[in-house]
Amino acid sequence: MNAFPLAQEETLLPLVRRGDPKAQESLYRAYQAQVYALARRICRTREDAEDVLQETFLEVFRSIGQYRGDGSLWGWIRTIASSKALMRLRRNKYRDADELHDDVAMPRREDTGLRMDLEAALERLSDTARAVVWLHDVEGYTHDEIATMMSKTVSFSKSQLARAHARLRLWLGEEAVA
Amino acid sequence: MTHLTTEQLLELREPGLEPGLDGARAHLATCETCQAELRLIDQRVARLRALATPRPGRDHFLEIRSKYVAERRRKRVRWAGIGSLALAASLALVVLTGDGQAGGRADGRIVGPAYAVASDGDTDLAAIIARSQELEEALRVYDPDSRMIDARTATIAARIEDQLSTVDRQIELFGALDRSVPERQAERLRLWNERVGLLNALMDVHLTKATYAGM
Repeated sequence: MNAFPLAQEETLLPLVRRGDPKAQESLYRAYQAQVYALARRICRTREDAEDVLQETFLEVFRSIGQYRGDGSLWGWIRTIASSKALMRLRRNKYRDADELHDDVAMPRREDTGLRMDLEAALERLSDTARAVVWLHDVEGYTHDEIATMMSKTVSFSKSQLARAHARLRLWLGEEAVA
Repeated sequence: MTHLTTEQLLELREPGLEPGLDGARAHLATCETCQAELRLIDQRVARLRALATPRPGRDHFLEIRSKYVAERRRKRVRWAGIGSLALAASLALVVLTGDGQAGGRADGRIVGPAYAVASDGDTDLAAIIARSQELEEALRVYDPDSRMIDARTATIAARIEDQLSTVDRQIELFGALDRSVPERQAERLRLWNERVGLLNALMDVHLTKATYAGM
């Protein structure tokens, strides 16, 4: 997902590197929605997501000289945003237990017969599980990449994803039709 | 019959299948229950991707820009600081050994708002640089970056920060030129006075939160 045609990007980036305010604003306007959406899906609150949005673009403006155009600009910005959002999760530690070791094969009593929409179900996942689901299934990161970003193992990322899907299936009340 | 686990089904969706999954793939080819489960996962992922895109509640660019400019200025000031002190020291020496025209105040301090300090001939550069450093330190202690500010305050602060950056660049430029030329010395004094004025204005903006008049 590139917000700029390549030619426009090539004109804009040297100006952003020089700290040109108009160029910075163009870059911000082009990618702020994607950055915020990613941050909002990973972070628990809107305020945290807005902080991540600010931290991401501050880092982008600060480090734009390091972007060499090897991959897409959005890919580079997205990595910064993901990293900032995960840092925010670590810092906040919203839930002490973080449900990392819950056994999803044994649903809690209140889950039985429960059916919620996807937004609510996603919100209900633990911070870590929600981040893994979003980064893997929506943003397209591999388990290797997620493990690196979270300083965890690949098998941790895989098991988080599997547990999260099992929970979502239960909470959404989905029924398989063979 | 043992069906595939969620983890195995998810593995089958990954690009570049591992050899260990051959058995799972063979099972999937013949098991309608697992095929249906896999379809559910595919549909769930599609629904996740189709979720509405949340939007930020307000525009953040001015705050980001203000922080960026402030950060850049602080870095520049940190580097320029050493040169400024050396300049101030050398000027003080000139004042003591020179023709007495730039004597400065008896106590060497500037009283009242620094932007009201006129180049009335008795204000020396060392004192104005010291005042600039005091204000810089006061701003550092106040740490506006860690505080919530409204959009109007951010706009004004960003504008002042931009002006400060311009003045700082000019001060750096003059720092590299011959200091013995009197016109350049006067220009340096003017620039440092301007810098102190802008720092005062910045303090006012942060302390009064957008009630600053005249910008």
